Amino acid sequence: MSAVLKSKPKAIVCDGNEAAAWAVTLARVDMVAVYPITPQSSLVEYLAKFVADGKLNAEIIDVEGEHSVLSVLHGGTLAGARTYTGTCGPGLAFMFEPYLRTPGLRMPMVMSIVTRDTLTPQSVWGGHQDAMSVREVGWIQMYCETVQEVLDTTIMGYKVAEHRDVMLPVNVCHDGNYLSYGATRVELPTQEEVDAFLPPPATNWHAALDPDRPMAVDPLTGGAGGPGPSMFVRYRKGQCSGMQNSLAVIEAAHEDWARIVGRRHAPLVESYRMDDAETALVTLGSMTGAGKDAVDEARDRGERVGLVKVKTYRPFPVQAIAKALSGVKAVGVVDRSVSFGWNSGPLYQDVIGALQFATQRPAAMSFIGGLAGADITTDHFGRVIERTQALAKDGQVGETVWLNEKD
Amino acid sequence: MSAYNTISFLPEHCDGCNACMTACATAKTGAPDVINSRIQIVADGDSFELAMCRQCGDPKCVSNCPAAALAKNDADGVIDWDGTKCVNCLLCTVGCAYGGIVHNAAAGHVVKCDTCGGDPICVKACDRGALKYLTTANIYNEVGDLEDLFVPGLAGCQGCNTELIMRHAMRRIGPETVLATPPGCIPGMGSVGYNGLTGTKVPVFHPLLTNTASMLTGVKRHYKRQGREVNAVALAGDGGASDVGFQSLSGAAERGEQILFICVDNEGYMNTGMQRSSCTPFGAWTSTTPVGERGTGKTQDAKNMPLLMVMHNCEYVATASTAFMEDLYDKLDKAIAASKRGFAYLHIYSPCTTGWRFPSQENIEVARKAVEANFVMLWESNPRDGLQLTRSVEQPLSIAEYLKALGKYRHLSEEQVGHIQATVEKNVGFIKSLSEGCHPAMAQTMSGQA
Repeated sequence: MSAVLKSKPKAIVCDGNEAAAWAVTLARVDMVAVYPITPQSSLVEYLAKFVADGKLNAEIIDVEGEHSVLSVLHGGTLAGARTYTGTCGPGLAFMFEPYLRTPGLRMPMVMSIVTRDTLTPQSVWGGHQDAMSVREVGWIQMYCETVQEVLDTTIMGYKVAEHRDVMLPVNVCHDGNYLSYGATRVELPTQEEVDAFLPPPATNWHAALDPDRPMAVDPLTGGAGGPGPSMFVRYRKGQCSGMQNSLAVIEAAHEDWARIVGRRHAPLVESYRMDDAETALVTLGSMTGAGKDAVDEARDRGERVGLVKVKTYRPFPVQAIAKALSGVKAVGVVDRSVSFGWNSGPLYQDVIGALQFATQRPAAMSFIGGLAGADITTDHFGRVIERTQALAKDGQVGETVWLNEKD
Repeated sequence: MSAYNTISFLPEHCDGCNACMTACATAKTGAPDVINSRIQIVADGDSFELAMCRQCGDPKCVSNCPAAALAKNDADGVIDWDGTKCVNCLLCTVGCAYGGIVHNAAAGHVVKCDTCGGDPICVKACDRGALKYLTTANIYNEVGDLEDLFVPGLAGCQGCNTELIMRHAMRRIGPETVLATPPGCIPGMGSVGYNGLTGTKVPVFHPLLTNTASMLTGVKRHYKRQGREVNAVALAGDGGASDVGFQSLSGAAERGEQILFICVDNEGYMNTGMQRSSCTPFGAWTSTTPVGERGTGKTQDAKNMPLLMVMHNCEYVATASTAFMEDLYDKLDKAIAASKRGFAYLHIYSPCTTGWRFPSQENIEVARKAVEANFVMLWESNPRDGLQLTRSVEQPLSIAEYLKALGKYRHLSEEQVGHIQATVEKNVGFIKSLSEGCHPAMAQTMSGQA
């Protein structure tokens, strides 16, 4: 549980799961549906406690599985509710059927993925494989580096999701174990600040289940004749536009947050000590902290190394990545998950795709670490830097490096 | 077929003035002493209850009577009392749960309502509209006056009974409704629609086949939170209810969500080409239990969905058949009322002309035979009164008579027919034992509360 620090009335010490629950409370969410799963369980326990204590004025529905978690929220959203849940790993897999449907119905909601490696081998520890498995389904996905970023991004998620140019669901990904259970000092915005930032819910103006304005939601659409083909294309294309529109909306939301709450996070990608960098690391999530430390150590040695953190992963900020990495000689992309199709990390594929648009195209290599709760330490990042610097010299892209293979 | 004429009571219109009791006593005894009235209005806190004969479809007074002094009149549905046969044992009064037949000291024997020959004086005496005389015919007329909430021209198969169920159910439920129709025949005939056109006049949606009850949970909970009265209703097939949708259905029932879930049971996945579901009966041909050199149709018995729902301690569970519409309407009304308090589940059997292989004009006849052979039993259940048969069949049609009406059973061996006969008898015995009183205790035991 949180401990309130007396010297700073707005500061608490809490872990990422509690921070998400505070965000849900401050965002005045109407409905949460819950089902526990490690390492998300304490998050839904906090939500239940906040409701029981009268802190969170929401309808809480304890259902019989993750499939129903999201299905209940579909009903709630179509009736006009602002909704929230969180899950991970096998729970996300079980939820996949309604998960797949959420963006097509243009349902704005926020769901935390407290990232966990997927089965099998049987594992309950952190890793990005679960969130990566659903990266092409049409949800917006933002990855957090710190507990503070979890809290702030979860609230910002609603502003993005419910924006009229977007109307899409948002995953806020926070790393299982590191962020879910790691407690740090967190500054809690006031309710007044959040109210000034976030307008009232606007979730079903476009598709509703409401007897006052009867409509049929999701009739069969498509087929080979009549209006079907063009109508289906219109839906799909609109969905893609919503994704692309979200890039600007995410930037604007982060700007508003900085203006009202006074805290600034990089919205799409963060460039760290990149000004004169020759080699760059690319990171995702909580590993970024160790990555930045390793960059600092290299800089202390006089090496021109920088780091680019990807915050918004879907839609992939192609132009921002291309710009951030233009001019470096080599890039080392560190993934906490695997692309089975490419024998590399999935973020690596995205980065080399984006580099197509870079003015000067650096060589890039894939590093995979932190699977199933393994640590990616500054030593691991030291090896990444060393290998990437070698790549900068000889341009020879080697095989994917598995960082914890010999731990 | 028994008629269904009865007197209904609307307590919200009653102010306890006693005019009905005075009129009845005067008509039956010549004096206005209300103790002799066949209708008794009893104060119950701020409200009133009716103690009076309901002219039940499955009258316990009749089955309790050892002297054959009570009988249900097939012409008007009234339960007649014959003073020349009565032995004054009062067993009938023990059987009745409604206080509808009682010993009257002045008369010296039991008395009960006879509906005044179809023109009840109590109803005429009530100027507040708290009493209504309902006949089979006016039940139909009343529903006919209500708006049909589906457009003309839904594309069901010829002779389809499901379309009948949809239209009648939604007329009764009314427009303040959000309707879920999971994939199957019901949206397949165009209720949700195609390419922007819809066949329904209330908000309607395709849930997934798996999540009907969960989506309705979200809809209903949010409207409740906003203080809006909106019915959350599912019209689902047996596959979506009993197989892949069972988990969400079970979860919603366990939580007591205020949902009316109507399962239209045509014993399989008829919309997608007649595949087997867990509600498909033993022996039935389906496209996934084909008949051939080795195949003999389905080799397992059907899952008893409505009984499973009883075990969830639902607010109301009933079975119904389109061959007995007055019984169906009665249950529909009870289910709608129950869904405002908790989970209500209505299981309606709907023979499928296409998938069961019989001529389309015989649909209602097949439905009727299923009930008369006890292949389908009509009952209702709630946690307070337990399970009651609403139309018990004492001299059932032979099961072979029912099976031979359907092409899907054409291949059955004598042994298979014997298995079905034995299963039906076992089921009848089980349901009857539940109706005889062991059910509420059993339900408690099953839900761990005993």
